[in-house]
Amino acid sequence: MQQQPPKKKKIKVPKVVNGQETMVEIEVDDTGGPVWGPNNGHTLLNHRLTRVDGLVKVSGAARYTYDVHLPGMLYGRVLRAPHAHARVKKVDLSAALKVPGVKAAVEGLQDVRYAGTPVAAVAATTPELAEDGIRAIVVQYEVLPHVVRAEDAIKPDAPKVFDEGNVQAANSRGDKEKVAAALAKCAAVVEAEYRTPIVHHSCLETHGNVVDYRGGDAATVYASTQWTFSIPGDAAQELGLKQSAVTAIVEHMGGGFGSKFGIGVEGALACKLSKQASAPVKLMLTRHDEFLIPVNRSGSWQKLTGGATKDGKLVAVEATQYRLGGNDEGSQAGQPYIYTATDFYREVSSIHTNEAGSGAMRAPGHPQASFAMESLMDELAYKLNLDPLEFRKINLKDPAYHRQLERGAREIDWSRRNTTPGGGAGPVKRGLGCGVGVWGGGGSPQCKVDVTIGRDGAVTVACGTQDLGTGTRTYTRAIVAEELGLQIADVHEQIGNSKLGASNPSGGSTTAASLAPAVKDAAYSARMMFAEKVAPLLGVKPEEVTFAGSKVSGGGKSLSWSQACAALPATGLTAHGEWKVNLADKGVHGAAFAEVEVDTETGHVRPVKIVHVQDVGLPLNRLAIESQINGGMIQAMGMALWEGRVMDAALGLMCNPSFEDYKIPGSLEMPELVPLIDDGDTREAVIGVGEPPIIPTVGAIANAVFNACGVRVRELPITPDKILMGLWKGGQTA
Amino acid sequence: MTKEHDETSRPSDPSRRKFLKGVGIVGAGAAIAGGLLETELRGERGATVAATANAPMSGTVEVALQVNGERRAVQVEPRTTLLNALRNHLDPPLTGPKLVCDMGTCGACTVLVDDKPIYSCLVLAVDTAGKKITTVEGLGTAEQPNQVQAAFVADDALMCGFCTPGFVTTLSAYLKKNPQPTLDELREACKGNFCRCGTYPRVFEAALKAAQQKA
Ligand code: FES
Ligand code: FES
Repeated sequence: MQQQPPKKKKIKVPKVVNGQETMVEIEVDDTGGPVWGPNNGHTLLNHRLTRVDGLVKVSGAARYTYDVHLPGMLYGRVLRAPHAHARVKKVDLSAALKVPGVKAAVEGLQDVRYAGTPVAAVAATTPELAEDGIRAIVVQYEVLPHVVRAEDAIKPDAPKVFDEGNVQAANSRGDKEKVAAALAKCAAVVEAEYRTPIVHHSCLETHGNVVDYRGGDAATVYASTQWTFSIPGDAAQELGLKQSAVTAIVEHMGGGFGSKFGIGVEGALACKLSKQASAPVKLMLTRHDEFLIPVNRSGSWQKLTGGATKDGKLVAVEATQYRLGGNDEGSQAGQPYIYTATDFYREVSSIHTNEAGSGAMRAPGHPQASFAMESLMDELAYKLNLDPLEFRKINLKDPAYHRQLERGAREIDWSRRNTTPGGGAGPVKRGLGCGVGVWGGGGSPQCKVDVTIGRDGAVTVACGTQDLGTGTRTYTRAIVAEELGLQIADVHEQIGNSKLGASNPSGGSTTAASLAPAVKDAAYSARMMFAEKVAPLLGVKPEEVTFAGSKVSGGGKSLSWSQACAALPATGLTAHGEWKVNLADKGVHGAAFAEVEVDTETGHVRPVKIVHVQDVGLPLNRLAIESQINGGMIQAMGMALWEGRVMDAALGLMCNPSFEDYKIPGSLEMPELVPLIDDGDTREAVIGVGEPPIIPTVGAIANAVFNACGVRVRELPITPDKILMGLWKGGQTA
Repeated sequence: MTKEHDETSRPSDPSRRKFLKGVGIVGAGAAIAGGLLETELRGERGATVAATANAPMSGTVEVALQVNGERRAVQVEPRTTLLNALRNHLDPPLTGPKLVCDMGTCGACTVLVDDKPIYSCLVLAVDTAGKKITTVEGLGTAEQPNQVQAAFVADDALMCGFCTPGFVTTLSAYLKKNPQPTLDELREACKGNFCRCGTYPRVFEAALKAAQQKA
């Protein structure tokens, strides 16, 4: 038979650069192959699977980058600039090199655009001596004027962060005049400014690497990273080696949330130190470093005007949106976010300040935009005297939103909400609020997976990808085990090594949707190849061989797994897998409901219950997905109520660079959390959901606060002072 | 104190106690001076200490730690925290306890000293000489987890797992003290431990389950 070239089709897939997602068009094979089948037809997937790396983590045996310990290893430390804006004139390392135990000292960045910029680094035989080394460095600075507040940075005479100026030219969309005309006819118009501060990832494992280069032509880098494959190239450049000569290892990693791509300035310094000392160097940032040096979630300043008709149709939205990304761009989804207004006009730009550059953080730009838009929608609903939930439904076409809003409303019992905000007796008031979100996600063809079946029965699945705590290891095993009719414990995974098959960065919720299809494809091919080998033993055709219950069967006969594997050649069999378009999908929604208690005497807000409903396509592991949804709700709660960078405008310094002063959610604040997987989504395809659960809860909490006490707080975090000020001013805050 | 700087201490030399007293004033607080067992601490002046009045106090001492049922000697500077001694100076190290904040806020470094949970980043190694230290590795292993560890896995009370050794250690000790805790008591027990991934609700569930199994 003449071979047909495979049919091609064009699709759009996400591409993640530095954690930020953009869509690109690619061509893929449009052919058959594996399918997942109905979501309720799985033996392992879509079940509650305990983590395969759970036991090593609970017993302290899991080795994180921070735990790597090599013979002769040195400890690196960076010296942070104490000025928000300066030029390094001279770095004197000589005294540092005389400190006993200090084996290497190098210069860092020269251009100081934020306080904390690493200007030098040392490596010493103990962490304590490295600290001494840092103290012995003498740096001369030319101190320049700085600006750290957006309001100051937009003034014409403000100190310039970059020569080009502090305000980026705006991108605009929509028709401003049409919006003005529409607003004039609206039954209700709300004009308001919403602000969100810079928020920190606060990964418990700080950024850092162990660079093991002892001269010669090869190096190993252990990295706490969201992309194994971003490390070799970065390190090779610093070390002057070929990319292929650097092996990156990411066994376990202690949180990333979007902040860990590439080797970073700390990794570059670790390379220099290792090269100078010809010894392995572990350079993990300290907690103080961690608040100042790596990226953060950009703040936002959003001026919105929205108008609706009296029957609740959103007809016009005008937005001026500033991204507050320090010395980087920042991110912010365009308004009116998920809603369709008949007419809209928006201008989006960035304001630069002398602060570390922002980067991706769990759903970059979305919680900021969602908080502002959900607040605006709420304000409009109250103005129109409409139920905020009904008002949203009127303005959301997608049935998935309706399904999720109804489910969440039932779970929180929406009928209990205050019909009059601030109503109810006594000083402690309860209120309910809701919000909705959207996320793209999706997968792309970057992962290369191998599944090997040994003659001894051992099954291994290998890919260089990384597990951030999302459960990658677990579903990787589960997919293979299910395909081969085995138990999860029968399969072993190898991940986190750049010498294994390529993988994509864990950004934009693209890991599962990129990796799982390639794993499935490899497992499917392994099954086909295996069936071919055992079919003669069973006296059946390969397509009649079945794999279930750790048995290989056909024609009424059964072989145990080890009997069947004995039929393999000494080298076993290895099947290769690639991404398949039909096994992944993209586009999810998400609805959140919050119940809070506000003490009108102290201004204290206590979250009581949060519900999040999330569609996920095929849920690979329900237990892990629920955990991830919990995590999203909890981080959203932090953003809504407690977290935010505080800057001293005069000094240009961060006032709260520690967990003492930067408040992340703790056990005492935990409300009842209800993570719900929306099984109304019957897509038989994998979609990642790391990011979407953090989006709508922020607005839901702000709206619940209003419903409870009648105070609309438009600037996060919603701290007691803002509530009290609002109560004093009769419901309004600045 | 200046004089003591200039002295060379030998294991049996009584001036060693004075040396340590000096250290105590500089770095460790007065607590260090009392309660030290002669056989557990060995003073040793680093050869590099400059004999001048203003020289920083330096050099190392040998501390015999009783960790997870073993006696393990470690050579550290008096300013070395217990956490650093365990993670970086013991060979092979014990890296279950994590360094996260280094200032007693997050609980990731929690270990048991004489069965009480403490932040090992806030305690000097020399202060724990002769005391019974238990790290997460000593509570159970992947092959033989204790009830708290097993419940954590069953209930998915971990994600990245970086905070997990701290929670496991805190709760293992707490459940001994209070075998039948309420949810509110567990919140209170965990208030010194942070998790960024957001495992709290399942940490509570796991602890309640572990308590039930113990009962
Ligand atoms: S590292 Fe000790 S409490 Fe955080
Ligand atoms: S599981 Fe990641 S910090 Fe707790």
